[in-house]
Amino acid sequence: MSAESTTAVQRAQVDLLDFVDWSSVECLNYNSSHSLVNALKQGYREDEGLYLESDADEQLLIYIPFTQVIKLHSIVVKGSEEEGPKNVKLFANKEHMGFSNVSDFPPSDTAVLTPENLEGKPVILKYVKFQSVRSLTIFIEDNQSGADITKVQKIVLYGTTVETTDMKGLKKIEEHGH
Amino acid sequence: MVLEATMICIDNSEWMRNGDYAPTRFQAQADAVNLICGAKTQSNPENTVGVLTMAGKGVRVLVTPTSDLGKILACMHSLEIGGEMNLAAGIQVAQLTLKHRQNKKQQQRIIVFTGSPVKYDKKVLEAIGRKLKKNSVALDIVDFGDDDDKLEKLEALLSSVNNNDSSHIVHVPPGSDALSDVLISTPIFTGDGEGGSGFAAAAAAAGGVSGIDFGVDPNLDPELALALRVSMEEERARQEAAAKRAAEETARHEKGEQPLNSQDANMTEVGSITAPESENKRNDLMDDEAALLEQAIAMSMDDAKSGPSVDTDMLEATREDQDLAFALQMSVQDGAKDSATQTEMSKVLGDQSFLSSILGSLPGVDPNDPSVKDLLVSLQGQSEQKEDEDKPPSEDER
Repeated sequence: MSAESTTAVQRAQVDLLDFVDWSSVECLNYNSSHSLVNALKQGYREDEGLYLESDADEQLLIYIPFTQVIKLHSIVVKGSEEEGPKNVKLFANKEHMGFSNVSDFPPSDTAVLTPENLEGKPVILKYVKFQSVRSLTIFIEDNQSGADITKVQKIVLYGTTVETTDMKGLKKIEEHGH
Repeated sequence: MVLEATMICIDNSEWMRNGDYAPTRFQAQADAVNLICGAKTQSNPENTVGVLTMAGKGVRVLVTPTSDLGKILACMHSLEIGGEMNLAAGIQVAQLTLKHRQNKKQQQRIIVFTGSPVKYDKKVLEAIGRKLKKNSVALDIVDFGDDDDKLEKLEALLSSVNNNDSSHIVHVPPGSDALSDVLISTPIFTGDGEGGSGFAAAAAAAGGVSGIDFGVDPNLDPELALALRVSMEEERARQEAAAKRAAEETARHEKGEQPLNSQDANMTEVGSITAPESENKRNDLMDDEAALLEQAIAMSMDDAKSGPSVDTDMLEATREDQDLAFALQMSVQDGAKDSATQTEMSKVLGDQSFLSSILGSLPGVDPNDPSVKDLLVSLQGQSEQKEDEDKPPSEDER
């Protein structure tokens, strides 16, 4: 693991899509015709017409386990200007959370998404909090306009694996103003 | 075959004394609960079911979700009628117990029996429904008793919970039909469009007749009837699988299994504490008893071995002693395996040259010894004789 680029604090981060354990991914309060797959999976998330939508109210609880331990660096959450998510809380390594216990422990990190973020600007997370992550829980508390339904177009997770860094898979991410 | 954790909310309010459902609303409800528990645990062995009561002094959880049918049946005995039903609290407590289920992979389901008036507002019920939907809990409502006000509220509750038709409501009008019979044909029993499980189909067939199947009136003793029904169903399924292998014995099986069925029912009733064990043992015992019967019959035709006769005697003793039954099961399992390999062995034994080479390798045995040679010949002759005997009886039976 040679640190060849001396400039960046973050080394080249990888899209963690390959390390998601799809069999145990869960989402609470989603509308069954607009499921989590639409926001996470490779082909689906690029499609404008496919998005993740909430059901009974505007909150969403997404549980993403990984096949190996990873370090999470940043996330991209894309959505529409009105119905896109606003307050997003991230919990590392908390299994099977429910809406009732999201307030029971402090989140590993919180993100308040701006319209820029919703366009695709990544949110840099507190890297120290996500050093060995086995599973990630994303709690979307509300949306930009306070509407009844929250819609998420795309969720991308950037980070690295802990045991091995796959040198072939290294990709630099474009960042505005960093 | 969905993996599910179910909480059943029982209405044990004063309204349950009413006799408009035979014999009383309460009894009809209890029968229905028993049937549902059986169906759930049978459709997937990892399913768990729990029970709570909504009336009485307050909402009380009788059994937390468990796959132990005996525990559930046992707690149904000690129920008392009284008070008023608290639907909202009942559902919320049920949701809480499901949240703390041991196996998080199970889907969550609540089945509510409402046989008395609902005092909550439609709005309150809708809010509860939405909360259930948000936490992906499905809700089934069994509405009985005659109250017009209820109908609208329950329908509203259902529509706020319903997600993709996973929740259902059933209205049971008063009359001579048993509550359980009406439920059998509903999606509550059969699951979401899976088609009737074997249990439901058999129960429906049995229930359609007056119900006196095995000499036991289900009204008098529903648990015994249930146990008999279940064991008969299992036995039937197993027999079909074993039909080819033991064609001539199946006819004798059916005569022999009737007394064995009642024995099994006794065991399930008595052992409520050790019920999970006896359930498994019962299934295993059935397999081994069948194998034993086979051996006994082969023996009677053959006069070859004396081992199985000892086992059939021990079988009598197991009616009382379940520990002995377990030990017996272990030893018989070995015996059962032996009988299966018997025919292969006889072929091997028949090959004389192979046998003599083996004998030659054994210390202290001289293959050229005349007594050894005689033994070989007699073995070969016996195995041929046995095969000949097996064939004509099978032709006679068919």
